[in-house]
Amino acid sequence: MKAVLTAKGLGKDFGRKRVLKNIDLELEKGKIIGLLGPNASGKTTFLKLANGLLTPTAGEIRIAGFAPGPESKKMVSYLPEKTYLNEWMRTEQLVEFFADFYEDFNVDRAHDMLKRLQVDPRDKLKTLSKGTKEKVQLCLVMAREAELYLLDEPIGGVDPAARDFILETIISNYREDSTIVISTHLIADIEKVLDYVIFLKEGEIVLASPVDEIREKEGKSVDTLFREVFKC
Amino acid sequence: MLRKLLKYELKATGRIFLPLYAILISLAAVNKLISTLLPIEVQAPKIIAMVIYITIMVGMFVVTFIMMLQRFYKNLLSEEGYLMFTLPTQPWKLIVSKLLVAILWTILSSLAAYISIFIIIFERGNFRAFTIAFREAVTGLYTFLGPSIFLFSGEILLGATLSLAAGILLVYASMALGHLCNRQRILASVGAFIALNALTQLLFFQLVRLIASPLSQRMQRLFSEAGGHLHMLSRAQIFHAVMWFGIAATFILAAGYFAITNYVLSKHLNLE
Repeated sequence: MKAVLTAKGLGKDFGRKRVLKNIDLELEKGKIIGLLGPNASGKTTFLKLANGLLTPTAGEIRIAGFAPGPESKKMVSYLPEKTYLNEWMRTEQLVEFFADFYEDFNVDRAHDMLKRLQVDPRDKLKTLSKGTKEKVQLCLVMAREAELYLLDEPIGGVDPAARDFILETIISNYREDSTIVISTHLIADIEKVLDYVIFLKEGEIVLASPVDEIREKEGKSVDTLFREVFKC
Repeated sequence: MLRKLLKYELKATGRIFLPLYAILISLAAVNKLISTLLPIEVQAPKIIAMVIYITIMVGMFVVTFIMMLQRFYKNLLSEEGYLMFTLPTQPWKLIVSKLLVAILWTILSSLAAYISIFIIIFERGNFRAFTIAFREAVTGLYTFLGPSIFLFSGEILLGATLSLAAGILLVYASMALGHLCNRQRILASVGAFIALNALTQLLFFQLVRLIASPLSQRMQRLFSEAGGHLHMLSRAQIFHAVMWFGIAATFILAAGYFAITNYVLSKHLNLE
């Protein structure tokens, strides 16, 4: 299998603070991968590096062989943990915006998802609650038929019902050749969909393993293992 | 991709500017109407209408300036940057789209101001006086510089647009340099602006010194050849030389600021 994302000696400092240390990673195509770790473990930083929103201090990161740039951005659908959409636009205008810039964007799917999450496409973003904004962002990101989805805390800010819908969307969206990376600390909710997990602790990878292996070898759920590894 | 970026940049800014222009021009019309309809003794409404008009006019230029800053800072270097920098495009296209649209609105704001002033002062008599004065000015310039005044106007327009672009790019480059700091980025941008400005003055001064002596030599030669009296064509030559020097220097500056901005946004982007 060809790797869709590779990192070699990847590191990131903010001033004197080291947020990511020497990350070596190779993610296979066609998997749903959990990027798990407590707050401030470097999950967001890693995903921002993969999107070229941050510049590495050391090492390199590649998406299907490309350094972050126009080529990689065509392939990656990224959901940041921030609300980043233009406040003055209506939801339907945002759908147009995405359709205009991304060739792999599926307008029908976007509208369908918005409808199921009961978002009125004519509403201006300014008037929406934070949770609804997050739903809009998720619909836009998941309506792309991308090769790699990088989802930063996709279920953090929404209610449990929407959470189920989102997970269902993620699974139903799953195609043989697309890869999904989900960063979260809400493991119990997401565990059942994951093929592979990466544990990040203080900017370092402490575990990278297929979920089946964890269950077989350790005889534990990912959630239990997580609680053990990150015990305070 | 640049075309699409321009389209969205125009949409994002047009929703502010177009209503603003409409308000300014309607206010000018209201002023005109009040001053024509009301008797001379009634002053208060005229003064109030005029104060509102002037406030809006000043406000329009302030908004033009702030929009130029904000479209770059907020849309690229703040949260919205997460969207703009994950689009499958190169950073230079983002910069160019912001720059072109900022230039466009500055020109249109000035035009809106002229049109509104024209509405207020418009009267049949003084419109004629205006055309006569304009024609006289053109004739006067023509006798001074000869047929090249048309080229000369082109040079002035090009020079003015380039200076505007250089000014905007100076602000962009300052914000980009401020972005290199880990914290206090706005303060760092102001610092970068002051430093870049000083550096520019220094560089420009050196360039002028470089060109000044050959130019004055040439002028002296032309003078002596003409026996102390410069011909129209020689005058024009000197004017063109000065203009093209200015244009070239401004272009170099603008290109330098652009290169700084592009370098930071493509090689050292670190969105918070």
